[in-house]
Amino acid sequence: MMSNLSDERVSQTSIATRMLRRPELGALIGAFVIFSLFWGFDTTGNFAALGGTAGWTDIAAPIGIIAVFVSLLMIGGEFDLSTGVMVGTSGLLAGMLVTEYGLNMWVAIPIVLLFAAAVGFINGMIVVRTGLPSFIVTLATFFVLRGANLAVTKSLTGTVRVSGIEEAEGFDSAHAIFASRLMVGTSSFQISILWWIAITILATWLLSRTQFGNWIFASGGDKNAARNAGVPVDRTKVTLFIMTSLASAFVGIMFVLRLQGMQAGQGVGMEFFYIIAAAVGGTLLMGGAGSAIGASIGAAIMGIADIGIPYALWDQDWRWTFIGVILLAAVLVNTFIGNRAKGAKR
Amino acid sequence: MSFKKLAVLAGVAALTLSGCAAAADDTASEATSSTEETTAAATTEELKDIKICVYTHGDGGTFWSVAQMGAEDAGKDLGITVDYQGSINDSAKQASTIDAGIAAGCNGIAASAPDAGAIEQAMLAVSAAGIPTVTMNSGSDVFKDLGAFTHVGQDEIVAGREAGYKFNDAGMTNILCPIQEAANSGLTDRCAGARETSTGTVSDFNLDGGLADLTAASAKIKAALEADPTIDAVFALNADIAAKAVLPAVQDLGRDIMIGTVDMSEDALNAIAAGDIAFAIDQQQYAQGYMSVVLLYLNVTNAHSLGGGLPIYTGPGFVDASNVAQVQALVAAGSR
Amino acid sequence: MSIALELKKAGKAFGSVIALQDVSVKVRQGSVTCILGDNGAGKSTLIKTLSGVHKPSSGSYEVEGAEVSFGSPRDALAAGIATVYQDLATIPLMSVWRNFFLGNEITKGWGILRRLDVKKMKELTKQQLMEMGIDLRDTNQQIGTLSGGERQAVAIARAVYFGAKVLILDEPTSALGVRQSGIVLKYVLAAKDRGVSVVFITHNPHHAYLVGDYFYLLNRGQLANEFERKHVELDELTKAMAGGAELDALTAEIQQVRNVS
Repeated sequence: MMSNLSDERVSQTSIATRMLRRPELGALIGAFVIFSLFWGFDTTGNFAALGGTAGWTDIAAPIGIIAVFVSLLMIGGEFDLSTGVMVGTSGLLAGMLVTEYGLNMWVAIPIVLLFAAAVGFINGMIVVRTGLPSFIVTLATFFVLRGANLAVTKSLTGTVRVSGIEEAEGFDSAHAIFASRLMVGTSSFQISILWWIAITILATWLLSRTQFGNWIFASGGDKNAARNAGVPVDRTKVTLFIMTSLASAFVGIMFVLRLQGMQAGQGVGMEFFYIIAAAVGGTLLMGGAGSAIGASIGAAIMGIADIGIPYALWDQDWRWTFIGVILLAAVLVNTFIGNRAKGAKR
Repeated sequence: MSFKKLAVLAGVAALTLSGCAAAADDTASEATSSTEETTAAATTEELKDIKICVYTHGDGGTFWSVAQMGAEDAGKDLGITVDYQGSINDSAKQASTIDAGIAAGCNGIAASAPDAGAIEQAMLAVSAAGIPTVTMNSGSDVFKDLGAFTHVGQDEIVAGREAGYKFNDAGMTNILCPIQEAANSGLTDRCAGARETSTGTVSDFNLDGGLADLTAASAKIKAALEADPTIDAVFALNADIAAKAVLPAVQDLGRDIMIGTVDMSEDALNAIAAGDIAFAIDQQQYAQGYMSVVLLYLNVTNAHSLGGGLPIYTGPGFVDASNVAQVQALVAAGSR
Repeated sequence: MSIALELKKAGKAFGSVIALQDVSVKVRQGSVTCILGDNGAGKSTLIKTLSGVHKPSSGSYEVEGAEVSFGSPRDALAAGIATVYQDLATIPLMSVWRNFFLGNEITKGWGILRRLDVKKMKELTKQQLMEMGIDLRDTNQQIGTLSGGERQAVAIARAVYFGAKVLILDEPTSALGVRQSGIVLKYVLAAKDRGVSVVFITHNPHHAYLVGDYFYLLNRGQLANEFERKHVELDELTKAMAGGAELDALTAEIQQVRNVS
């Protein structure tokens, strides 16, 4: 019988410290602090009520839906900078299919999703086959799509926006499912919030309760060790890229239905907010650890700030400063935790 | 207790206390003012309670900051609260902001409508909640569909037509019209308006993204001018484009090309004073901001719906060598 | 004694670089076979050949008497040959139980509802580690918080649990201190006790001598020497590693130079 050889230098972690180490708990505390801050400065009296909640969840939902999958991809060790512009591309594509080609909305939607999946597949394949940093590969995709959004829209419609979607067949039913409103008391909530919650639950389950989720952690933590253990790293990464593109397309479809059209520039610039939401929620920029639910909390924080700032009658330019500060704080905390876990002992 | 935990607790405590203090402050001032209440006229507190919200697609640049100043000055002059938000060309964000205006306690909402379909549902929801609305800056032909009682701004086609006349007066035959924001139909409308009245040809030119990189824009314009030596005028649609992209290109080439522009900036006005730029169309965006607030204020306090179902125009006004001196001082102050 | 693995006159060339030449190594069933050599001796190429990363350019590779040709490490893994690399054994940010079952996750349910059986995996991990002598209170902790020796031990326990018949360890003690090395060496013997054949690659003859039954010395891609434990002493092994006859000649030369000056 072997004697107990546990190292007396390994300290036993207290329950409180262990809980604080869970990335999403840190983010949740941060969200409460920020919520309290804006509650204190609220001039309308509605911030902490249904009305205000309807407002910030409306902003947070489309960010959260994409940020959740962006965080999965980041945990898997990669970045996708083409997410923002893909929202525009999908909305424009759906709009053009129904207005220029007279397709039913319900035929256009699967076509758009298929297109997005193909773009995600290409992103993934280039990254795993060439070994180039995903930052660069998806940046290239970003530019390709950005140009295409303008050029194709202009050549097909003569303008740089798609409008008149509401005339299309299938618009009403699609709108009801993806872009309608639900009354709660006297406040109207967007249905996108329900989608956001469902998708967050799905992604969380996928990450922590499935074999694929284990592979995501491994591929991001150390792809060589993962390969040696038999994990199909390439296949995992390509699948993750497909997921981020699909999530972006989903939001694009939601938007084109709500806005009854779309401008060619929609979505550009949002790609960094998804990454920030994921980072604020506890996903490490270096990969290997993170949380899908944390990304949703990060998105919630952004929504709270976007509504809290005007409700406090502050100049909205402070929004940028705010985002910068929370990003820095979140990354510092994450790095601190990551370092303690990784290399403290040899 | 670890430093991290202590810091978090301290932060929460401080913020909660400051929140309570802020709330206490409000109730205190309300208490004192109610004792001074007069019977008929609205007190300062009641006026401050009126909140007019101006939610645009603006980007905070030289043009929109003037519109914002107009709106906020109106708020100060009337003693009411004004909330200005610009969505930086993001229609989804603008729609969400307008939707949130109901719970934000807006008594009236003014919105710019470059893409009416995008904010239609939000605007109608606001109207359904009993809040009066106007459109401003863009949307002169759609304001009724959005439930607004009038529009404050400049009709882009009208502006273009007037510019066309100006170019005719100077005998111009081939006018280049660079469009610096591909997604902005207002800009295309200006070129179209000029085309209607011009006796020569007016050609649209794609200069998308021009404001983000003026040096590159200048090079593109120079190339376009070189490619067609018969171009004798350029109708720029933005003051920075005119002064920092078109003018340098024209000066480089040394050709005699007439430059007219839309909107003003310090540089553009200096160029007019120096004779390098012929005219600037002033859509008087300060007044767009100011009047939006006034119109809604009058509706909220005295049930006025001005405009008679038609748009109220703030332009086109023309600034040329004859009146540039007056205007320059005001532009330098940021209010024109 | 039966042979678990055998390389017969194996050679490996990369273009014009000959990494291995005419190397014959027998790994006997249930023994600890040490491959010794300095840096550049070809140990890395040898280990990659055994673990399926490379195919030998000449000679043959036999597993339990039958010739094999592995296309990838996964093929070797399927044949029961598990390799534990020095730096790449475990993933620091993942928990111990996730590392333990990586690639071999236990699931319950089927179709779209197939999910991890977390409870079972945590229990098994705790139990298996206990059997190897590691007592972890919480298998949920990130494996990076364990000491280097313990991480190696988890990797070894993992390989043994998943039915490795041959365990190849690539320099497991090279980056560890004395105490930690001791831990790893004890696990090597524990694995041997469970009937696993161990191939132990190292450049440390002391460590090798503590656990090894057979020793092969590699030098510049070729087999310089082979010993059986019962026929060799530690200092003879050390000297052979340091250069043997070459070292004697060099020592004499240097001493002459020092005496003169």
